[in-house]
Amino acid sequence: MGLQPYVILSAVVFCIGLFGVTTRRNMIGILLGIELMMNAVNINLVAFARFTGSAAGFIFTVFIISITVTEAAVGLAIVILLFRVRRTVMADHLDLLKG
Amino acid sequence: MTTEPVAFWGLSIVLVGSALAVVLSKNLFHAVLWLALALTGTAGVFLLLDAEFLAAVQLLLYAGGIITIVVFAIVVTERLVGERLTQTNMRIGGGTAVAAVLLAFIVTIVGKRPLAMARPEMAGDLTRTIGQALLTRFVLPFELLAILMLAGLLGAIHFARPED
Amino acid sequence: MMNDPGALALAAWLLPALSFLVLSVVFPFRRLGPPAAWFSILCAGGAFAAAVMAWRIQAESVVPVHLVWPWLPSQGKTLADVGVLADGVSTIMVCLVSLVALLVQIYSLGYLHDETRPALGRYYTYQSLFAFSMIGLALSPNFLQLFICWELVGLCSYLLIGFWYQRPAAARAAVKAFWITKAGDVGLLIGIVMLWRQSGTFDLTQIHEMAAAGALPLAGLSIITFCIYLGAMGKSAQFPFHVWLPDAMEGPTPVSALIHAATMVTAGVYLLVRTDWLFALTPNVLLIVAWIGAFTALLAAVLACVQDDIKRVLAYSTVSQLGYMMTAIGAGVATAGFFHLLTHGLFKALLFLGAGSVIHASGSNDLPRMGGLARRMPQTAIVFIVGTLSLAGIPLFGGFLSKEEILGAVWAGGLPGPFAILMLVAFLTAFYMFRVVFLAFFGAPAHEAPHAHEPPATMLLPLWILALMTMVVGGYTTFNGGGAEAASPAWLTPSAVGAATAGILLAWLTYQRRAIDAASLAGMFGPIRRAALAKFWIDDLFETVYGVILLGFSRGIGWIDRYLVDGVLNVMSAWTLSAGDHLRRIQTGRAQDYVYGVGVGILMLVILMRLVFT
Repeated sequence: MGLQPYVILSAVVFCIGLFGVTTRRNMIGILLGIELMMNAVNINLVAFARFTGSAAGFIFTVFIISITVTEAAVGLAIVILLFRVRRTVMADHLDLLKG
Repeated sequence: MTTEPVAFWGLSIVLVGSALAVVLSKNLFHAVLWLALALTGTAGVFLLLDAEFLAAVQLLLYAGGIITIVVFAIVVTERLVGERLTQTNMRIGGGTAVAAVLLAFIVTIVGKRPLAMARPEMAGDLTRTIGQALLTRFVLPFELLAILMLAGLLGAIHFARPED
Repeated sequence: MMNDPGALALAAWLLPALSFLVLSVVFPFRRLGPPAAWFSILCAGGAFAAAVMAWRIQAESVVPVHLVWPWLPSQGKTLADVGVLADGVSTIMVCLVSLVALLVQIYSLGYLHDETRPALGRYYTYQSLFAFSMIGLALSPNFLQLFICWELVGLCSYLLIGFWYQRPAAARAAVKAFWITKAGDVGLLIGIVMLWRQSGTFDLTQIHEMAAAGALPLAGLSIITFCIYLGAMGKSAQFPFHVWLPDAMEGPTPVSALIHAATMVTAGVYLLVRTDWLFALTPNVLLIVAWIGAFTALLAAVLACVQDDIKRVLAYSTVSQLGYMMTAIGAGVATAGFFHLLTHGLFKALLFLGAGSVIHASGSNDLPRMGGLARRMPQTAIVFIVGTLSLAGIPLFGGFLSKEEILGAVWAGGLPGPFAILMLVAFLTAFYMFRVVFLAFFGAPAHEAPHAHEPPATMLLPLWILALMTMVVGGYTTFNGGGAEAASPAWLTPSAVGAATAGILLAWLTYQRRAIDAASLAGMFGPIRRAALAKFWIDDLFETVYGVILLGFSRGIGWIDRYLVDGVLNVMSAWTLSAGDHLRRIQTGRAQDYVYGVGVGILMLVILMRLVFT
């Protein structure tokens, strides 16, 4: 079937994730969008690794998955901390750097 | 293989549909569940690409771990549900425009040159290959990854500490 | 040095400069008052002595002496020199100036004895500066030095009119004098520069030679001479620039005697006398000079008849006599005008100083408040009457021959209109001057004037000196006069003297014998009298021009500056501020918005790439 459909699929999911990042008001919603984007990247990497015969793509995917897990944990910890301090999870309420 | 296109299209529909539901759902908890489905769909795509190990890792870590901690975060915070989409999303028009343009751009770029049509033979078992590479060629990033995860763990603990 | 008229003239010029420098720089000396005054008088006396010697020696050698030093360098040669040109006209002018300056400075010691010491010192500093400027003007060898001294003289006039600067009327009068003479000075400067362009030099002698050799292009010369005449109009108070002179009477009386009778106002006449060879080349301008001179004489004489302030009468009389001199120059006989300048300087200074002692005695300038002063101040009365007879042009007195010569010159120059006007003015002059005499010195004392006594010796001495000189000049010229000047018709002298006598008679009948009622006499000339009391509305015209046109124009320029020029800058800064305010909204402080911004940037880039690199 070729490589192209997988790349297109990855692009579609990536853009949907980008939409979510820029659009969602809830901070956890934004994190969900980021997860989608990571996923799309993984699909892209695995597809290219499979179709070019290089194992580096697979390894890279393993790393990305691990790091994404770490990042999600730290990010959610920050969200919880922000909720504790500011009593809100809405991203548009956090505008202390407004200038 | 004629089953491949069928499987691919089926998985694509599931994946794209649940991704859309993640970003457009008014109920945040529903969005998380849709994300679980999307991650499972991704695992299916990995299987389609002969990466069984990765499919398993995906299911374990993503669909299992991340969803769990996201659910915990939702439980701790509030604001679960909104009546209208504008309460949970803003800048819908602008966001759509940006995403659509980027998608169109990538598609046109990809369409300019023909990409590989046939899969080369995989040399041996993927799991063995990954395992060997991790401990020989990529051992340094592997160890650094461990340190990074430790740092992340400590940071997350520090952030989530109760106030004294 | 004692034999060189040039060096003597230079000494006469520089001695007052020395006095000015010492008094202005060494201010502790100046603040002492009377010692500074005596120093200034000493220098003025030395200047007078040098001037007289220069005059006598020059009169014998007849050759003009040019004593100059190069001054302004320009392209390898000098543009202008500084120095003295001692010829017949200039040396005698310097004698008059230094004499009157010396006598006025002596007189001022008595007149201003009420002043504080620093103020007295300041007065004599200005007097020295004036003497220096006026003598420099008379002796200047080129137009540039003449113009500089011209302006300096105007400055001294401003400083001395406004000597009592705390009085608003004096301050206003000083500014008015400066403004009006400045209007004429602009013309003079333009004329000088245009003349330089035509001839290539500022030097009087060189331009004279060029004119005599016919090397001066005639085209445009009328404009040049008219511009120079404008300067003379301002300084010598010709119509319509005469309005500053009566107001200048706000200054101390000795100042009026020096500056506004004998010297500064005659600078205009002197300038025209100095350049009469230039004006001879443009007869049409000379015609204008003559007519304006005659008209000024008549206007001022009419105005003098209705004044109640003794100094104003004398001021208008000065304007009128300046008109006489200008008419003579316009008729082409500048020497007649110059002769009248010299005699007029003597007797007008005498009249002013005499008026000063009258004012000193009766405490005010008002004629109706004076009366019967002849009994209390006989010496002043005598010298004043001597001066008045000179002004009226009665034989044996100073002004007789000079006036006759002017009338003869105007008649011979073929100007019957100005001639008739001048005859009428002679009648009026005698009338209004003797009105003053009868009102002030004769009749019953209108008010008790407790301090009516003779002035002190410092004031009487100059009066007697001037009176004696007037008599000497009068006697000498009456018997030795006429001669080389244009032969005037035989009926000229008797009719002129007759007109003057008629004027005296009318004044005597009206004011002394009260045979004619003054009020009904005034009533006969009703509308003219009313107009004269309003000074023919010339002052109001000037005020309107200044207030409406000049101030309106400056208000308009001010508006442009505030709203257009500043407005552009203000608008630009306002726009910058508002642009900043609007651009600030990009910085919302939310990270999500910045991600969105990055996305929009990518969008723009993609579109740009598609459009440019299709």
